[in-house]
Amino acid sequence: MTTVVDTPQWLATLRADGHALPQSPLAWLNERRAQALERANALSVPTTRDEEWRFTDLAPLRQFSLQRPPAARTITEADIALFNLPEAGARMVFVDGQFAPSLSHGVGALIGTSGGTSTGTSVSTLTDGLKSHGALLQQHLGVHAGFEQQVFPALNTAWLHGNNGALVVLGRNAVLEQPLHVLFVATQANIALCPRVLVVAESGAQGKLIEDYVSLTNGAYLANAVCEVSIAGNAEVHHVRLQRESLAATHIATTAVSLAKDARYRSQSVALGARLSRVNLDIRQAGEGADVELDGLALIGGEQVADTHSSVDHAFAHGRCRQMHKTIVGGAAHAVFNGKVLVREGAQLTNSAQQSRNLLVSPRARVDTKPQLEIFADDVKCAHGATVGQLDAEHLFYLKSRGLPEQQARNLLTYAFGAEVIQRIPVKSLVNRLQQTVLARVDAK
Amino acid sequence: MSTVLENLVNQPYQHGFVTAIEAETAPKGLNEDIIRLISSKKGEPEWLLEFRLKAYQHWLTMTPPQWANVQHTPVDFQAITYYAAPKQKKKLKSMDEVDPELLKTFEKLGVPMNERAALAGVAVDVIFDSVSVATTYKQKLADVGIIFCSISEAVREHPELVRKYLGSVVPVGDNYYAALNAAVFTDGSFCFIPKGVKCPMELSTYFRINTQDSGQFERTLIVAEDGASVSYLEGCTAPKFDTNQLHAAVVELVAMDNADIKYSTVQNWYAGDEKGVGGIYNFVTKRGLCRGVNSRISWTQVETGSAITWKYPSCVLRGDNSVGEFYSVALTNHYQQADTGTKMVHIGKNTGSTIVSKGISAGHSNNSYRGLVRIAPTASGARNYSQCDSMLIGQKCSANTFPYIDVRNPSGTVEHEATTSKIGEDQLFYFQSRGIGAEEAISMIINGFCKDVFQQLPMEFAVEATKLLGLKLEGSVG
Repeated sequence: MTTVVDTPQWLATLRADGHALPQSPLAWLNERRAQALERANALSVPTTRDEEWRFTDLAPLRQFSLQRPPAARTITEADIALFNLPEAGARMVFVDGQFAPSLSHGVGALIGTSGGTSTGTSVSTLTDGLKSHGALLQQHLGVHAGFEQQVFPALNTAWLHGNNGALVVLGRNAVLEQPLHVLFVATQANIALCPRVLVVAESGAQGKLIEDYVSLTNGAYLANAVCEVSIAGNAEVHHVRLQRESLAATHIATTAVSLAKDARYRSQSVALGARLSRVNLDIRQAGEGADVELDGLALIGGEQVADTHSSVDHAFAHGRCRQMHKTIVGGAAHAVFNGKVLVREGAQLTNSAQQSRNLLVSPRARVDTKPQLEIFADDVKCAHGATVGQLDAEHLFYLKSRGLPEQQARNLLTYAFGAEVIQRIPVKSLVNRLQQTVLARVDAK
Repeated sequence: MSTVLENLVNQPYQHGFVTAIEAETAPKGLNEDIIRLISSKKGEPEWLLEFRLKAYQHWLTMTPPQWANVQHTPVDFQAITYYAAPKQKKKLKSMDEVDPELLKTFEKLGVPMNERAALAGVAVDVIFDSVSVATTYKQKLADVGIIFCSISEAVREHPELVRKYLGSVVPVGDNYYAALNAAVFTDGSFCFIPKGVKCPMELSTYFRINTQDSGQFERTLIVAEDGASVSYLEGCTAPKFDTNQLHAAVVELVAMDNADIKYSTVQNWYAGDEKGVGGIYNFVTKRGLCRGVNSRISWTQVETGSAITWKYPSCVLRGDNSVGEFYSVALTNHYQQADTGTKMVHIGKNTGSTIVSKGISAGHSNNSYRGLVRIAPTASGARNYSQCDSMLIGQKCSANTFPYIDVRNPSGTVEHEATTSKIGEDQLFYFQSRGIGAEEAISMIINGFCKDVFQQLPMEFAVEATKLLGLKLEGSVG
C-alpha cells in the first residue's frame, strides 16, 4: 500500500549511516541489522494515503534536514535536575543518543532485589548487555518489534549500535522495589536519534520502568524510539512512558510487548511534547491468562499532533485487557487514537474493555478516534467506548454553585480529567510533578 | 447448542425459483455503445445520455475499492448483461394484461398487487428485472400531488425534476460502483413529495433479480419538499443461481426544510449455499442529504441476504437542526460477508444523529460494522450517539467494528459504544426451565437483541423481519 514518493533527505542520510555503522563481532546482530536496513531501504515514509497514517501527516518531517548527532554535548547534573526522580534505584542517561555514564547511577549492579536470580538482574547499555547477555539478546532484540512493514522501527534496528540503548534484565523471581529511570535527553536541533530499550522479565520477576524523553533545546529533531518488553510467565512489568520532547520535535515510537502465560503488564503513557508524536503500542498475549492495563494521556495545544495507535492481540484464552486513553486538546491541536483489539480464534473467555475519551477545549481543536474490534471467538466479553466532547455543563454548574469562578471550575475539571491517568503512575514525585505540569498547562489555556 | 445452530444455519433459501419469461437482453459487456443502446431503448433525452457517458468515462479511471473487510474474486464487468427487460408487445392497460407468469411470481413472493394491495394499504411500484411493469395506487397519490413512478417514466414525464436532483447527492464519480450505476442504471423508483404533503400511505417497491447474469443497477431518487414527509419500504428477494450476480444500486434522498424521509429495507437476496458458492454481490451506495433546516432522514435496514454486502447508508446533515438516524440489523451465516454501517456528516448547527447497529454472525461468516461520524468545524452543538452490538453464534465466524470518529468542533458531543457477546447458556437455561424450546428461545433472544431496530420498522416489515431472522437461524442451536 505504501506509495513510493521522493525520499526525504534525512531518510537517505539515515540509510547511508546505517550502512556506515561498524560491524559488531556478533554475526546474528550484523545479520539482523542488515535485514532491517534492507527493509529501511525498501520502505518509504508513509503518507496519509496509508490507512495507518490517515490522520497524521508526516509532510512537515520531509522538510527537515537531519544528521546523525555529532559528538554529544557535555551536560551536567544541573541541566537535568528537573527530571531527577529521587525514588529511582538506577538511572541511565542518554544524551543525543550516547550513553552518559557520569550522569547515570546504579548501572550494571544488582539493585535492591530480593529473590534468587538465574541470569542476574541488571541494568546496562546494550553494548555491555551484548557481552554479558548475548544469548538473551539474540532471543529478544529486534524480535518483538517487527520491522517488516514499517520504516521507523526498521531504521532504528538498522542503527542499533549498543551505545544508544538500554537493557533491563529482571532475573527469575527478582522483585525490584525501586523504579528504573531511563532518560533520553536531546540537546541539539536537526539531529536524528534512535533510542532503544529492551526489557526482559524472567518468570516471576517484578519491576518498574520509567522511559522518559526530554529535551534541552527548542529545535526540531527526530526521535525514533523502539522499546521491546518481554514478560515471561507470571512476571509483572509496570511501564511508564513520558514524552516531553521539544515543541518542534517529531517523536515516533514503537513499543512492543509480549506476554507469556499469566504475565502482567501495566502501562501509563503520557504525551506532552513534540510538534508531532506518534506511538505504536503493540501488545501480544502469547500465553493464557495474560493481564494488561493500558492508560494513555495526551495533553496538547498549539499546532501539536499526538497520535496513538494501539493494538492488543488476544491470541490465547482467558486474556484480559483494560485500556483507557484520554486526550485534552487545545489550540489548533489534533489528537488521533486508533485502538485495535483483536481476539483470535480460540482466545475464549477473553475480557477486553477499551475507552477512548477526548476533551476538546478550543474551537479549532480536532480529534480523530477509531476504536476497532476484530473478534473471531464466540465466548468473549469485549466492549469499547469512545466519547468526544467538552466539559459537562452539570459538573461546571455544581462547582460554580459552590462559589468557584467559571475559569477555575473549568481548570479544575480539565485537570481532574487528566489526573485519572497520572494518579496511576507508581512514582510519587513524578505524579506530583506531572500534576503540576498539567495544572500549569490547563491554566495557560 | 451446536445442533440447533447447525439446523438453523442449514435453512434452504425459500425464494429460489425462476420465472420463465422471455427477456430482451443486450449483449454482454460494457462499452459506450451499450450505454447508448440502453439510453436509446429507454428513449432518454440527450442530457441523460451525457450524464451516463460522463459517469462511464469517470468509471474507467477508477479502481474497485479494496478497503472493505470482504474477500471475493474480482468482478468481470465484461461478462455482465447490462440490459434485460421483459418483452412487451403492447402497452398494458390493466392488471389483467400482465403476464400471468409474472403475476404468479408476485403471488409466491406475497406482493399485495391488487385488492390485497388496497387492504394492505401499500402502493407497490413493482420492478421486475429492470423495467417497471405495473404501478398501483398512482391515482390516489396523484390526488395529493405525489409523484411515484419508475425513474424512466419520471425522465419522460418530469425531466426537469429528475435533472435537478439526479446525482445531486451521489455525484457520478462518487465511488466505483456508484459511477458504474450512473453509467448503466436501467430502472428504479422516483418519488417526489410536494410542499407540505404528508404521504398518505407507505410507499414500497419490491425488487427482484430474475434473468441469470444480469446485474441490477437500480437508481432510486426520493425528494421531499418543505414540510413533506414519506415512509418508503424496499424489500428484496432473488431467485437461486450459482453464478454471482452483481447488484450496484444507488439511492439518493433529498430532504428540504422540515421534511422527513424514512427509508426501510429488508434485504434477503440469495446468499450462496452453505459452501459459500453463488450469491449476490450487493454493492450499494445510499445517501441522504438533509438540505433544509429541521429536516430528518432515517435509514432502517435488515440485511440478511447476499453473499457480500457492501453498504453504508449515509446522512449529510447540512440544514441546521437536521437529524440523521441509522438503525441496522445485519445477519450473516455460512460464508456470507457483510461490511456495512453508516456515515453521519454533521455540517449544520445543532444537528443530531443516532446510530444503532446490531450484527449477528453465524457459521463461517464475517460481519463488520464500519462507520464514520464527522463533526465539521461549522457544526456547533452537534450531537451523536452510536451503539454497535455484535453477537457471535459459533466459533468460526467473526465480528468486527471499525468506527471512525472525526470531531473538529469542541461544542459537539460524540458517544460511541460497542459490545460483543454470545447467547449465554444461563439465558437458554432460563427459557428452557420455563418450558420454551432452545430454538424458540434463541429466536426470542435474537429478537430482543434487535428490538431497538425492529421498533423502527413499519408494522408489516417488522413482522416479516422477525420471521426472517427466525428462519435464517432456524436449527442453529441445540
